[in-house]
Amino acid sequence: MAGAIIENMSTKKLVIVGVILLLFQAFAFMVGGLIAPSPTTAIHYLATKCVDTVKHRQETKWFMPWGPNQCDKIRTFDEAMAKKIEANNIVFAVHIPMNNKEMSPWFQFMLVILQFDIAFKMYNQIEDGALVTIDVGLAYRDDTLGEWTEMAHSIEKRKLNCNFTTAKTFENEGRYYECDLLPFMEVGSVAHKYYLLNIRLPVNERKKINVGIGEIKDIRLVGIHQNGGFTKVWFAMKTFLTPSILIIMIWYWRRITLMSRPPVLLEKVILALGISMTFINIPVEWFSVGFNWTWMLLFGDIRQGIFYSMLLSFWIIFCGEHLMDQTERNRFSVYWKQVGPIVFGSFCLFIFDMCERGVQLTNPFYSIWASDVGTELAMAFIIVAGICACLYFLFLCFMVFQVFRNISGKRTSLPAMSKARRLHYEGLIFRFKFLMLVTLTCAAMTVIFFIISQVNEGHWHWGEHTVQVNSAFFTGIYGMWNLYVFAIMFLYAPSHKRYGDEQSSGDIGANSGEDIQLTTTITHVDGPTEIYKMTGKEAQE
Amino acid sequence: MTEEYVLRCVLMLCCALLSANASNWLYLAKLSSVGSIRDEETCERLRGLIQRQVQICKRSVEVMDAVRRGAQLAIDECQFQFRNRRWNCSTLETMPVFGKVVTQGTREAAFVYAISAASVAFAVTRACSSGELEKCGCDHNVHGVSPEGFQWSGCSDNIAYGVAFSQSFVDVRERSKGQSSSRALMNLHNNEAGRKAILSHMRVECKCHGVSGSCEVKTCWKAMPPFRKVGNVIKEKFDGATEVEQRKVGSTKVLVPRNSQFKPHTDEDLVYLDPSPDFCDYDPRTPGMLGTVGRQCNRTSKAIDGCELMCCGRGFQTQEVEVVDRCSCKFHWCCYVKCKQCRKMVEMHTCR
Repeated sequence: MAGAIIENMSTKKLVIVGVILLLFQAFAFMVGGLIAPSPTTAIHYLATKCVDTVKHRQETKWFMPWGPNQCDKIRTFDEAMAKKIEANNIVFAVHIPMNNKEMSPWFQFMLVILQFDIAFKMYNQIEDGALVTIDVGLAYRDDTLGEWTEMAHSIEKRKLNCNFTTAKTFENEGRYYECDLLPFMEVGSVAHKYYLLNIRLPVNERKKINVGIGEIKDIRLVGIHQNGGFTKVWFAMKTFLTPSILIIMIWYWRRITLMSRPPVLLEKVILALGISMTFINIPVEWFSVGFNWTWMLLFGDIRQGIFYSMLLSFWIIFCGEHLMDQTERNRFSVYWKQVGPIVFGSFCLFIFDMCERGVQLTNPFYSIWASDVGTELAMAFIIVAGICACLYFLFLCFMVFQVFRNISGKRTSLPAMSKARRLHYEGLIFRFKFLMLVTLTCAAMTVIFFIISQVNEGHWHWGEHTVQVNSAFFTGIYGMWNLYVFAIMFLYAPSHKRYGDEQSSGDIGANSGEDIQLTTTITHVDGPTEIYKMTGKEAQE
Repeated sequence: MTEEYVLRCVLMLCCALLSANASNWLYLAKLSSVGSIRDEETCERLRGLIQRQVQICKRSVEVMDAVRRGAQLAIDECQFQFRNRRWNCSTLETMPVFGKVVTQGTREAAFVYAISAASVAFAVTRACSSGELEKCGCDHNVHGVSPEGFQWSGCSDNIAYGVAFSQSFVDVRERSKGQSSSRALMNLHNNEAGRKAILSHMRVECKCHGVSGSCEVKTCWKAMPPFRKVGNVIKEKFDGATEVEQRKVGSTKVLVPRNSQFKPHTDEDLVYLDPSPDFCDYDPRTPGMLGTVGRQCNRTSKAIDGCELMCCGRGFQTQEVEVVDRCSCKFHWCCYVKCKQCRKMVEMHTCR
């Protein structure tokens, strides 16, 4: 990489750039914390127990829990017992959303969690490894009086993971088991206003279906969707960030093409980082408001995955290009050992995501965690991805260690070098240290905010204002990595000042015999700037 | 028209006279004849409500079915929790539902008030979740709701609405008296303690749904505990209830523990003013005081369900009875049980 802007900038300018970036950073946090509502909302639904009296129905009938045309309801199953209604005639109906409300495309996604209320009975306990077979249908309509249109229908199996915390005695009959939440449904777009879920738990003693699942009292669902307000703020942010990154990217690449030499690897990688950031920024989600694109959730995952793997690759290559160990790199193939785990790990996560969210495109009730084989497969993918991540970080740490070792080695020999070579190495050291510092800060910020958002209940009250910590986390961290990429492209772009500096290239030509790397990484020697001198002094001390 | 008006006045008068017992609204549980409470007319025909409660009923008719279920839930849970005690929460077919047992400021009264306030909050919240009610978490009368509406930031939890409704409906009797008698203070405190039993036992549940299901995005919500658990909590508070008396601190009247060596009660504890009677004998002057004659008891137990204590020292008689029990049953998850009948001889002890 040629003498970058960062080396030639005066301290004052660098500070100004830093302050501007910090202001934008604070702005990103504030947008999330003060304007946006919390990112997601969870709504409780208690399934209404409807009675289906017709034995063998030709067409599917949809059961509404309330409103006009509501079904025959029963309150409790004791009532059903008295009326001699069988389990197969009971339909659990849930209308999403609540009465008088309607869903909106701004909600982006909708996922539903299932919970059973199962009462403990001495003689009717949940058997070990009990499986529930759920016959579920999902329908939608867009006006309150229209007909329901079927959207999906499936027969799903879910494993009941329940335990009874108190002693299993007659005394404690009627207490509820504590059951794990069951993943139930995931829809990648909310294009319709009203949704209706009809759930049946058919019993077949011969085939051992739904036998030994205890005495079910109620079915509860929790519907989660992104808040419309958060989506709007998020889109606005993306729409603002896209042109900023795009412009700096074009500017960056123009600078590189203006140079006489072909771009080096690091410059290409920085461009790729910019492209992947733009890819994630482009607000294609705007289309999800108008179109019913269920794959948007999956697409979002893929975009994030590409960006993360690009960022990780960038760190490795940046370290490698600053190793200063006199070996020619500048080729992508040199880094296969380090980049390999990243590619392999993200590929594993991609396969996993395709197995979960990909299948959900056709069957929203599918869950890879529902079956034993699926759980093992999913765990296998995640563990392999985890191992890859560990491997990557070992490589990265080792490389950073090598760079620091070389830096301390070079420092001792710096005063003895020729001016051009000394400046070259000082530039390398400064560039590396700067990026190292910024990267560590960003990573630390991400981790800290992640922990805060996990531990915290989601919002802080500050006088009259409510600060949405989770929203601030999302917009803040997203803005931060954008600024990070922006800053890298700006500061590590080749400097203007080398133009017309023929003498310096000649100087390097003379020295290149003993230092091959110089040809790839340095083409300029200019009067050192203040900051340059400063770090140079530091390095000598 | 005039006839109806007169009738209404009489009803109101009845209500006013009977309002001495603030848990009269529990009588709603016994009103199965009314059917579902659908229109404002029905509100006036409901016995057991005071005028202000009738107003609330008219204002939010849709909630009243839930309130009635709440009353039933309170009575059922009370009977479950007190099944082994001398006073077993038996109800009468007349008003007041529990007879005169809860008219005094006893521990039992404290329990009844707490469980009924909690049960209304519980039943209303459940009705919200099943979509029967229109306002609920999105109601602007409930604090904590976002002004921007459902599409922007969703609604607040339904429990907030349930608790707020319980506060307005159940507490209105004490507040309407316009005085801070020690009994009103006790009832208000116990009502609040009952609701706290739900609020402080809400379970936090979370779901991760970030990239590939990671916890990058996590949504948490609070789930209501099962009512049996609420009942157990309030029963524990009953066992450790504090006897209090009214004292004036500054210009306000507060309840403080009668025994100053006890540490002061918290918001979640039950308080009572008068010691309980022993509930041993039938008392015709006190409706609801049925005594323990004929109650079953446990011979081996040393606790309150043991024959010694249950029968108040009167002794007990033992019978050999043949019990037809269900055994080797086959169950479906709902509504189907196929059993064999097993007969066995059991010793049954009843109080004299």
